[in-house]
Order: sequence, then C-alpha cells, then structure tokens
Amino acid sequence: MLPETSLRGTLLAATVALGLSATGAFAQQEPCIGNSVAVTGPAAFSGQAIKLGAEIAIDEINAAGGVLGKKLKLIQYDDAGAPPRGVDNTRRIALADKCIAVLGGFHSTVALAQVDPIHEIGIPYMGVWAANTKAIENGRDPNFMFRISAKDKWVARFLVDEALKVSKSGKIAFFYENTGWGNGALPDIKAALAAKGKELAAAETFNWNDQDMTPQVIRARDSGADVAIVWSLDREANQILRSMDKSSWKPTIIGAWGISGNLGELAGPLANGVRVMQTYSFQTEQSATGKKVLAAIEAKTGIKDPKDIKAASGIADAYDAVYLLADAIKIAGAYDWKKVQAALYEVSRDGLVAPYKPAFDKKDPERQDALLPQYYLLTVWHDGKLIPFKGSPYDK
Amino acid sequence: MRHLTTIGFLALAVILVAVPLASNNEYELRLFMLFLIYGIIAVGLNVLVGLTGLVSLGQAGLFALGSYTGAILATRLGFDMVSSALVAAIVAGFFGVLLAYPTVRVRGVYLAVVTIAFGLIVENVAIEWQSMTGGTTGITSIPSPNVFGFRLSGYAYYGLLAVVLFLAAAAAHNLKISRFGRAMLAVSQSETAARALGVDATGVRTLAFVAAAVTAGLAGTFYAFLNSYISPDIFTFSDSVRFLLMVILGGAASTFGPILGAYILTYLPEYLQQFAVWQKFAYGALLLIVMFVMPRGIMGSLAFGLKKLRPAPRAVSATEGILAEDTLRRDPNALRSELVARDLTVRFGGLTALNKASLRVKPGEVHALIGPNGAGKSTFVNTISGFYRPTEGEFEIDGVQLAGRKSHEIARLGLSRTFQNTELFGELTVLENVMVGYQQGLGYGLAAALLRTPAMRRQEEECRRAAIGLLAFVDLQDYANEEARFLPFGLQRRLEIARALAARPRLLLLDEPAAGLTTQEIDALEEMIRRIAALGVSVLLIEHHVELIMAVADTVTVLDYGQIIASDTPAVVQDDPRVIEAYFGTSLEHADAAEATP
Amino acid sequence: MSTVVQYILSGLAIGGIYALVALGFHIMWSSAKAVNFAHGDTLMIGGLLAVYFLAAGLPLALACLLAILVGGLFGVVLERIAVRPFLGQHGSVGWMLTTIAIGIMVESVATIQTQGYALPLPSPGIASSIQILGAGVYPQELAIPVVALIAMFGLRLLQHHTLIGRAMRAVAHNGAAASLMGINVFRVVAFSFALAGLLGAAAGVLVAPVVQASSTMGVLPGLKGFAVAIIGGITSAPGVVVAGLAYGVMEKFVEGYISSAAREIVGFSVMILTLLVFPQGLFGKREVMKV
Repeated sequence: MLPETSLRGTLLAATVALGLSATGAFAQQEPCIGNSVAVTGPAAFSGQAIKLGAEIAIDEINAAGGVLGKKLKLIQYDDAGAPPRGVDNTRRIALADKCIAVLGGFHSTVALAQVDPIHEIGIPYMGVWAANTKAIENGRDPNFMFRISAKDKWVARFLVDEALKVSKSGKIAFFYENTGWGNGALPDIKAALAAKGKELAAAETFNWNDQDMTPQVIRARDSGADVAIVWSLDREANQILRSMDKSSWKPTIIGAWGISGNLGELAGPLANGVRVMQTYSFQTEQSATGKKVLAAIEAKTGIKDPKDIKAASGIADAYDAVYLLADAIKIAGAYDWKKVQAALYEVSRDGLVAPYKPAFDKKDPERQDALLPQYYLLTVWHDGKLIPFKGSPYDK
Repeated sequence: MRHLTTIGFLALAVILVAVPLASNNEYELRLFMLFLIYGIIAVGLNVLVGLTGLVSLGQAGLFALGSYTGAILATRLGFDMVSSALVAAIVAGFFGVLLAYPTVRVRGVYLAVVTIAFGLIVENVAIEWQSMTGGTTGITSIPSPNVFGFRLSGYAYYGLLAVVLFLAAAAAHNLKISRFGRAMLAVSQSETAARALGVDATGVRTLAFVAAAVTAGLAGTFYAFLNSYISPDIFTFSDSVRFLLMVILGGAASTFGPILGAYILTYLPEYLQQFAVWQKFAYGALLLIVMFVMPRGIMGSLAFGLKKLRPAPRAVSATEGILAEDTLRRDPNALRSELVARDLTVRFGGLTALNKASLRVKPGEVHALIGPNGAGKSTFVNTISGFYRPTEGEFEIDGVQLAGRKSHEIARLGLSRTFQNTELFGELTVLENVMVGYQQGLGYGLAAALLRTPAMRRQEEECRRAAIGLLAFVDLQDYANEEARFLPFGLQRRLEIARALAARPRLLLLDEPAAGLTTQEIDALEEMIRRIAALGVSVLLIEHHVELIMAVADTVTVLDYGQIIASDTPAVVQDDPRVIEAYFGTSLEHADAAEATP
Repeated sequence: MSTVVQYILSGLAIGGIYALVALGFHIMWSSAKAVNFAHGDTLMIGGLLAVYFLAAGLPLALACLLAILVGGLFGVVLERIAVRPFLGQHGSVGWMLTTIAIGIMVESVATIQTQGYALPLPSPGIASSIQILGAGVYPQELAIPVVALIAMFGLRLLQHHTLIGRAMRAVAHNGAAASLMGINVFRVVAFSFALAGLLGAAAGVLVAPVVQASSTMGVLPGLKGFAVAIIGGITSAPGVVVAGLAYGVMEKFVEGYISSAAREIVGFSVMILTLLVFPQGLFGKREVMKV
C-alpha cells in the first residue's frame, strides 16, 4: 500500500503545481462536494449509507493530500425524499456553497427533478443510488448527470434474463412500487421482455406502507405466471411474500436491489430463495480496497460483521463516486464545473465495486453510467442472509 | 393602527425592492422567490382561517390543482404563464366553491377532516392519472416563465412575484376592513348573531374559500414555472400543515402575519438542515413552542403588546356620529310595520313546543309576549327569526310571507333581534359590532372593497358615523374601541340592542332584555324601548319582568304550554283568570324544574 | 368465490385496525371534544417498542404488554401537555397543531432509531396461514377484528358498570354539568386519552407481526381511522367499529375490482359524500342547535 500512496503523493504534487497556475482564472468553485440525500424520512438509511461511503473516501483522499492542494470537503444536505428539497439543495450546493459536484441520493423522483437545475447551472451530478433510467439518460448534450449505481434499463434486462431462465411457462408477473423508481422501471421491463419476444403476464403496483397485497397477488397468480419480478423495498416485498403465502402461490421471485436490506429478517423462511440483484456485497471475498473500507466502516460505526452492513451498495457506490470525482478534478486541474464534467470522461480507475475503464464514454449516451451490467451481482436470501447466488442451495 | 399599516406596506415594498439588490447569488434569490409564492398562499389562506375561522388542512390540494393545471396547459397547449395562471386560478376557485359546500352541514373538526380528505384525493389523483399528470414522476421541463411569448429573466420573474404578493396582501387587507371582512369575522365569532343581522353565512364562507383557493391556484402555477418540475410529493398533508402553520405562526387575521409566517417557514428548513437527522424533531418542537408561547402568532402577540403599552382611546366622540334618530326614522308617511303569525305549530319529535299560536304585532306598537318558563316563548322567537322551521302555520311581515325563509333573509326583510344569552362578536370592538349590524345598508361590491374606491370609503365612513350615533343612542360611546367580550354584562345587553338597531329594522325583537339587569339598568331599558318605539320601530318584547311590561307594552300576549291564552292591553291581561292560573296556579316545583333547562 | 372470501377476510383484518384506531378517537372525542391528531403514532409506539423490548431480552408477552402500557402513558402525557391547555379556546386549531407537532417529534425519533427500516415482530399468529373457503389468512389477522369487537363491548361494559365509566358518559353528555356534579372532568379526560392510547398501542402490537413495525406504520391508519370515526359517527362506539370494518372490506374490493390505485380516492370520496348526507356520521347523534 505504501508505494501506491507515495506515487499518488507525487502525482498530487504535480497536479497541484499545475493547478495553482490555473487557479487564478478558474477557481470560482470551492473544493467541496455537496451531498443531497435523504437523511430523514422513510429512506433515512440511504442517506446514512451514502454519507458513510463518501466520508470514508474523502478521509482517504485528504489523508493523501486532498485535491489540487486543498482538502476536499463534504457538505451534507437532507432532501427528505422530497423533489423540491432536492432542487433547493442542488442550487444551494452550486450557487451558495459553490461546490464542484453534487452527489445524488436514493429517490428517483428527486433525481428526475434535479435534471433541470443541474443543467441550467451546469454543475456535474454524480448519482450513487437512484436507478431511474431517464434521470441519467436525459437527452441533454452536454450531459452533466453521471452515475455509479444500477441503471433500471440494464437491471431490467438482467432480471428478465434470469426470469426467463427459470420460468417454465414463460409467463412473468411484475410487481412494482408506485413511485418514480417503480413506475420508471415498468417500461424498462416491458422493453427487456419485448426484446425476447415476450409480454408481461401481469403488472401489479402498490404504494409504500401498503399493508396487504392479496388482491394484486391473486390477479398475478390467476394470470398463470410462475416467476415474479419485484421492484420494491424490503417492507413491501415482505407483504408480497406473505400475500403469496396466503394465496398458496409460490412463484420464483427475482428482485431489484430494493429488497437487499432486511427482507430475510422481515419475512423469515418465506424469503428463502428470493433472488436479488445487487451492485456490491461486503459478504463476498473482499479485495484489498474492500478490506480497507470495511476497516473504516468498523472504525466509524462499530459494525464488525459484514452481514450487519445494510445498504452495502450505497456505501460502496458513494465511495467510488467520490474517487471518480476527485480523479476528474485532478485531471481538470481546476475546481471548475465545465472542466470537471469534461474530465469525467477521461477518468479510468479500479474501483471498489468494479473496474471503471473508462468510467464514462462521451460518445455513448448510455455510458453516463459507470457501473456496467457485467458487474451486477446475483444474490439470494438464505436463512436471513443474502449470499451469492452462485454455489447457493438454489443454484441448480 | 392605520399609520402602522401604511408603514407596514411601505416596509414590505422596500424589502421587496431591496432583496434582489442584496442577494449574493441566484440561489438566495430563488429561495426568496419561493417565499413570495408561499406568501401568496398564506395571505389567501388567512382569509379563510384568520378571518372566517375555518381550519383547512387541505390547502396543498388547491396548490396542487393550480400547479398541475398551469403545468399541463403550459407543456401541452403552449399557454404562456399569465394565461396558465388565470385558468389555474379559475379551476382552483371552482374547487374552492365545492369545498365550501360541506360547510353548510359540517364545521370545526369535521370540516378539517373534509379538507384533509380533499388534499389526499388530489394527491392521489395526481399519482394515478398518469396520462395527464405523469404519475409519480410528475411533469418535467415546464417552460421558463414567459408572458405573451416574452421570456422573463430571473429578475423580471422576481418582480412579477413581488408585485403579485404585494397586491394580494393589499387586497386581503382591504377585504378585511370592508363589510366582507367584518362579515367573515362576525360569522366566525357568532354565526347565529351574524345570520340574525342579515349576513349570509354560507355566502361569506364560500367567498373565503374562493379567496383561499384562487390565491393557492395562482401560487401553484407560479411554483410550477419557478421549479420547472412538479410531482405529487410536493403536495402532501405535511405541506398543508405547513401552510396552515404559516398563518398561525405569523398571526391569524393580521395583515402582515401570514407573510412573516411564510418567510420563516420558507427559510426554517434551510437552517434546520444543520440538525441533520434531528431536523424534523426540531421542526416539531418549534411548532409546539410557538403554540405555547405565542398562540396568537407573532403579529398577534405584537399587536397585543402594543395595545397594552399604548392603549387606543376607548371612547369616541358622539359628535362624530349621525344621530340615531336620523338613521332609524322612516318616512313618517310610510306604513309602519305589522307582524302577523297564523297558527304557528312547532314540534320537536313528540314534543309540541308551539301549538297553533297566532299573534299580531300592530304597526308601531310595543307588544309583549309573556308566559311561564317552558311556555314556548323562545321557540316562537326562534321560529319567526328563521332559526327553527315551523311544522305548520305561517307568518309574515307587512304582507311578505316569511315561513320557509332563512334567518338572514328574514333579517333583511326588516326583522332584527337580540338574544336571551347575549351573542356578541366578542373579539370585535363595540363599534365594529354595531357596524356589522349596519351591514345591509352598505351597497358596495367586492371589487370596490378590494380596491377601496372612493364610493366604498364614503359608505364606510357613513356606516361608522351611523354606528357611533347608535352607540350614543344606547350611551356606549365611551366604550367604542373596547373588545365586546370585556364589557360588563349590562352593557353587553345594550350593545346588542344598538347592533340590532343598526340593521334598521321595521320590527325589533327583544328576547328577555331585562334578564340579569339591575333595577337602574331596567329603568334605562324601559326608557330606551320607548324611544325606539317613538322612532316608528315596532317592538316585540319577550320578558318576565312584569313591571317593565306594564310600563312599556301596548299589548300583552300570554303563552302557556305552547298556546296563546290571552292577548290584550296590560291592564286587561293582568286580571285575566287564565293568566293568573298559568302564573300562580302551577306549583312552584314545576317552575323550578322548568328553570333548570335554560 | 374464494377471491371474494379472501377480500372480505383481508379487509376485515385491515378494517379491524381502523376500527381500533377509530374507537380511540371516539373515546377521546366523547370526553374532551378534542382528539390526538397524532393518534396513529400510538400504533407505531406500540409496535416498535414491542420489538425493542423483545430485543432487550423480555419475553414476547411481557414486551407487548409493556409496549401497550407505554402507549397509554403517551396518551396521558400528550393530553396533559398538548390538549388540555387548548381546550377552553375558541376553535380547534390549537390542539390540532400541538398534537401534530408531537406526532412529528415522535415519528422523527422513531425514524432515527430505525433509520427508516421496518422491523419484524415475531408472533405465533403468523407462523402459517390457514385456509377458509379457499382463502388464506393468518390467525393473527383474524384476531384483529375480533379484538376490535371485544374492545367495543368492553368499553360498553366499562361505561355502564364502573364508576369511571359512568363518569365518562356523564362528561360526554355534558361536561359542564358533570363538573357541577362533582366529577373531576380533567381526570376523566386524562383517563380517556390513556384508554385511547392503550387501544392504539394494542392495535400496533397486533398488526406489527403482519405489517412490520416502522416509524411510518401509523400514519395512514391514523388518518383513515379518523376518517372512519367521522363516517361512523364519532359519538357512537358501535358506529365507528362497524364503519372501520366496512371501510377495510371496501378498500380490498376497490383494490380487487377497480385497482389498488383507486383505493384512497374512492375511500376518501366516500367519506366526504357520507358527511354531506349525514353530517353527524352514519350512527352519530344529531345535536339540536340552541339559540
């Protein structure tokens, strides 16, 4: 590890020297990253996770000398899951705090609402959670929205492939939450199925905090589906599982990453065999970076056992996102929005979650997303734990 | 006070001009613009909550209606901002009328629940009607603010919002000090009394709802254009609570309170951000503290403190007023009024409170209606003033059929009344109470009220002078600026008479005016009734006090068990054996039992 | 057929919760002519505390009992600090906002504790579902409407056969007169809020195994419980319980035969329409206006 640090140190010194000469003209921004995420409200856990991941990265970067000679700061705001708060925070980060970039949070509706102000101002945005396709593939050019997270379009393909592998009848049911995330995924799932010449047998929706899904489950069951793709959070997925249990229907369930939190705890044995797509897990064999981050998590939160880490993907994605931004700032040689945006296309790095080589591709509008589907991970719930699907008792 | 208001508006104007010059960056300016939009909502909501006393917890629903209407018109049909905003205001106003309708039947907490339900319905329709509203993802890329095809710059849009807020505040203030505002305050404090003075309570409440709805609709469109994005999460129940809180925190019914409340609650979340996970807790705690420390809100508390420090002179000079005689005297050649009731029967379930009662109040006379407790006097009074519906029978004033009419209509036809348990507008001043009575004499319309036209001011001045004259008539000019609830009981009775007279009745109905008065006060009352009758106003007096009746009544009618048992001059009635039987023949226990049910 | 039975059973389970919450509103309203607008949060207090007490090592039954008692205590404290100071005032804005404020604070603490996650409360009642006429249901769910009915009859017994119960009826009938008769009205009001708190927390403990305990679990049941109380007639205990059960069943049929999306829209519209036709609710007493 030591040689790496010293190498980075030299690099840094070089960039600082270069940067200083440019500072005079272009340094209207401050070396800070604004974090607008949900710290309160029903998805408060997501904000905590993102903050944790980002702080670990920033601590490391600052320990190694910061960027362009200054320490990088993290400015934390709460969007409470409300789009107008997200928009306000975006403006505050960009215009009042003059940060270099915005880290985006959990809620797809907030990310969608941020598209306009982000481009109006022209500040780079790095999403680390909300997976809505259109938030990032928004048709703008130049596009200031980047992401290290799952993308619903790719996730949909990934899940549909898995579903069709398992399904005997070829009939797939889709359960999605009635939010920006769930509704945004519906066309993606339909498109992914259409590409395989199939259609959804049933598409059922529900709201947050709904306490019973029997009507939806009965309709899906009666459609003859034998696989259910689930686009929900743990709380509602548990309701779906219980309603399925009551309705004596046992389809194979494949879910997007919303159900990777504590479903096993909530649903008990009913969760066994539920497959979940994830971007990262601390429960697999860890790389050197992974071990370092785990140690930092333990130092900051006291969590020792990797299986107690909820929202692993959020922490890991935020960690990588800060590094990619730091790299871009160094490449840009200035705390400047436009230059950093352009520099992001030149970043190349081995990250915690995946290799990003390159992270983004200016020529391909689909490649504003750094995390490619080949790095998606299929995991499965087994006795209260989420384990890699490969080699699990369900992998036949 | 009047100077303070002028200074307040000047200060507001200065602030609105100064802020864009002082703001450091676009973010600060936009935040201030958000405040302007919330201010518009709060000013309108204050008409409903502060003036009319109706609690709405569904204001976010009206805000959403305006927002979605504006956004859909702009994105689908290419409307510019002004026309979008106008249509949005009309749509929201229409729903305001719909929301006002339930107030005919339900009040208080029930109404609050109706408004909550309304807000939730709108929110859910916005979520579900995907083809129109974009569902949970909402509507994006709303064009930037434009007027007649011209794009507004940030500052121009700021200017527009500032002007609208200023005008809205001024209009709301003008409304408050007009006959409409007084009617709203009156309805909120005693609907019964307001109706008895000819105020159409339903109409007043509808107006208040429309005011709150139209402003919310306008603000909604402005918001959509400012944010260029809307989604259902912007219009939740907690937003409705916040809007209500703006009014309460700033000071309900005050002119600048809602604006101040909107300012604080726009900036508060920004400051609370530093509490990170605890910010919602801090918000709740703050709300709690406000309710305890300043239940009247900031402006309310300030005004209260100011009044304590520098109390306004309590009295007005009677010379300012128009003589009551001039206000009340009718054309001597015109027919004096006659009230005729024929076979009035009122039943409550199985109980017959009034049984074929017929009565005639001759033009210009003082007619006393007496009877033991429980005889049906109150039922009779409440029936002819329109509060109860007669089961059978009819009654008329000067040949105009009254049965089946609403109480405010009857009042407008010339029948004015006082109440056995005084029904004053407690938080209005003595003078304002009388001015509410004069309400029907004011002919100016809503537009005139909002603009404070010269004609409106002239009428208002006349109303004030007439009210002062009437106060002098009942010798209350020394208490004119006192809040009515602080008056001693005897004076409250006199105020009720002055207020009833302000409606310029043809027939004045006095419901036990001597109850609870001292002997001296009764003597004064006796003299006052004479003076009223001398002005040509017929008086129907419901009373127990025999001496008073003997002294002033021209005719006495006696009710017992819901039936008329005698009707003649006092001297004749006094000796009527049936009357003596009714009063003294029954056991005292019976009378006591009747006394127990007020 | 089995689908219809399924909707009825699932609806009764949800409706039982509404009924218990609405019963709490009825009790508070009767004594104080005011309610706790954050009453839904007593559900959350019951459910979450049961989970935490259990995690602290208490046996399940004791954990639940303790959680319910804390719910009752919450009712008392809330009445004392947020409702009583505002009872004499003209209008109801005061206690509406203070109780909402306390609700915000309580919910905020719960969110911080749980980070927004739902937590499971184990119960033998959800170990396996049972089949009735082709419809599946957990025993726990069946218990909820039964408990609601028991609570309703229990309240009736209490009101007719105990001193405090009779005092509650007297205060409900006429607070001022009851006070003249020597009844300590404040004590009755406090008792009512405690009772409502107990019922709310009990509802939370009952429903938590099925829906999980979370900081927001009480929000919708609270709002709907109030709507149901208004529909049923807040002055009538049987009225609000019947309305609660019916509302739950109606929701399931709307979800089943129209769409889950239409549920809230239909439900709240029904509430407004009911109020327009029956201003005192379906079974509520009509008060004659005195002039």
